[in-house]
Amino acid sequence: MRISDTAIERLRAAAEFPDLSGTRYRLMDKLGQGGMGAVYRVEDSVLERQIALKVINILDDQNQLAARLLQEARVIARLEHPGIVPVHDVGTLPDGRVFYTMKLVQGRRLDDPETALGGESECLRSFLKICEAVAFAHAHDIVHRDLKPSNIMIGPFGEVLVMDWGLAKVLGSSHHRDNAGPDDAVVGTPGFMAPEQERGDSHVGPLADVYSLGTILKFLLKQRAAEPVSRRLTAIVRKATEAASAARYASVQELASDITQYLQGGAVAAFPEGPGARAWRWIVKNRAWILLILAYLVTRTLFILWRRFS
Amino acid sequence: MNKVWLGLALGGILGIFDGLTAWFTPAARAQLLGIVIGSTVKGLIAGVLIGYFARKVNSLPLGILFGLSVGLILAFAVAAMPNPEGKHYYFEIMLPGGIVGTIVGYATQRFGAGTDLATR
Amino acid sequence: MMRQERDIGISGRFPATRWSLIESARSPEAQQRQRALDVLIAAYWKPIYKHIRMKWQKDIEDAKDLTQEFFSRAVERDFFASFDPGRARLRTFLRTCVDRFVANENQAAQRVKRGGEFQFVALDFENAEGELRTRELPASETPDDFFAREWVRSLFEMAVEQLRRECESAGKAIHFELFKSYDIEEGGRELTYEQAARQYGIKASDVTNYLAHARREFRRIVLEQVRLSTASEEEFRNEARALLGFEVKG
Repeated sequence: MRISDTAIERLRAAAEFPDLSGTRYRLMDKLGQGGMGAVYRVEDSVLERQIALKVINILDDQNQLAARLLQEARVIARLEHPGIVPVHDVGTLPDGRVFYTMKLVQGRRLDDPETALGGESECLRSFLKICEAVAFAHAHDIVHRDLKPSNIMIGPFGEVLVMDWGLAKVLGSSHHRDNAGPDDAVVGTPGFMAPEQERGDSHVGPLADVYSLGTILKFLLKQRAAEPVSRRLTAIVRKATEAASAARYASVQELASDITQYLQGGAVAAFPEGPGARAWRWIVKNRAWILLILAYLVTRTLFILWRRFS
Repeated sequence: MNKVWLGLALGGILGIFDGLTAWFTPAARAQLLGIVIGSTVKGLIAGVLIGYFARKVNSLPLGILFGLSVGLILAFAVAAMPNPEGKHYYFEIMLPGGIVGTIVGYATQRFGAGTDLATR
Repeated sequence: MMRQERDIGISGRFPATRWSLIESARSPEAQQRQRALDVLIAAYWKPIYKHIRMKWQKDIEDAKDLTQEFFSRAVERDFFASFDPGRARLRTFLRTCVDRFVANENQAAQRVKRGGEFQFVALDFENAEGELRTRELPASETPDDFFAREWVRSLFEMAVEQLRRECESAGKAIHFELFKSYDIEEGGRELTYEQAARQYGIKASDVTNYLAHARREFRRIVLEQVRLSTASEEEFRNEARALLGFEVKG
């Protein structure tokens, strides 16, 4: 039988399709490929709904990846938050591969050029939602360690979901280390990971996520290259992505609150300003009031003067 | 403070202030008290109406438009009232009145406890 | 994981432990070398023929001769002497050998037709040529990419063929038909499972199960083939990964 180029690609996909026979899931199609596994759209034949199934699809002789996938599922299960996809089920396929199922996210990846985020403030509000999810994870002692645009999904109603917790690290628990795979090895994505992560530092913590969030913010601002980026926003990016972790925002909340301040026209911690700049910002922030009151005073004064001299 | 009270307070304060500016017109000084009382009452009425509107309709442009209209209409009513001299000062009363209405409209849309969750 | 006595397609059985392919190819015993070579021929003759046609711009007759002759040389004992599985992929090694071979032949101005000292299974050059004519080499593609893809094509062809035979002998013809229409033929995936079920007179849930079975078997056969045509565990893993569409992580 002659195999065309497209057939090669389809056979390739077919060869890695997970075997779901004997499970409650029916395979629909492949949604994407992550670092260690592929994500498929499947139908839960019992609940009659579509969900996503993630399964390892590379050779895993030492069961390292299986342990990591399981760890990932457990991490997500601990994090019940609207910004984090809920896990439904974990199991082993007939072919021996570990899988977990999760809510099927309808949306686009942040790095998809067709992802429309709207104006600057909508864009920043989406970014704040990413921060909220990450801050929530930090509050549960979980560091994501691989935050990047391709791991963020934007739903059709502006929902923001932080995906791919496969490299997440559980802080302060040594028993997870044994089965978590490369806990302190160099993990992450160049360009989005903090310098201490790149060095393979053993003390990678929440501040590494702050750094990655800074690079995501930078990415978002770059997407909107047509418009000039305010110096205050640039300063926020700079502070979040300082090479020395101590010079960064001390937490994701601090980064988020600076963004909120920026959105409201308030003072931004990352951008110290002189009295002139502060006064000007106050004027810009309250320009509607100033204009209205000025308009009133001017008309009143004009009428009074006119009455006096006519 | 909810939007109606905010409108009332703002309308009242601006009404008093607006009335007091009559002091700068020597001819009107004699009737200052009457002008201030009238202007305050007008401000209170406008404030309640605009505040109530802001509670029902959550839209900055509409709120401003409504404030402007109420300010203009009430000011017109005042200006149209018969007075001893038989002269009407439409412009002098309506223009500032409209601006004051706009200010109250803007304020009640931006501030004051919303109705979204509390009263709906 | 690998079944030890499996029909590998062209030359019957290749009873072997995992990486004995290269050892066999280096064996002092000519018959054992021939058996190892049969496995290599099965997996590599098409990519090699196409490579000679495309990269060396040989006409059909020359390319046929060169392919036959290359494999005649390969059965000689010291052919694989310089091959180190730790340093290069078998596929890369073979391609380099072909290039060196063709270059030498070009230099020896009048090439003597030798006709082949060994009796090969007849290679279906017309078939290979037909495949070649239906595709063009994109300017962006390197000879190595081309060779690799042709190797994959040849591997998948063998695997599909083996799957077809296995399914038919096991009375699972529908399994294969479904696999063919969903995973090989153009436009097959537009068929819904319900439509396919009606077409073959089975339940929709059977369609998923049959497909899953065929895909699982296909995967198994492909991995076996990869094992057979690679020279070390590491190479096997790398090729398996590359084949299943993965970047090999460095």
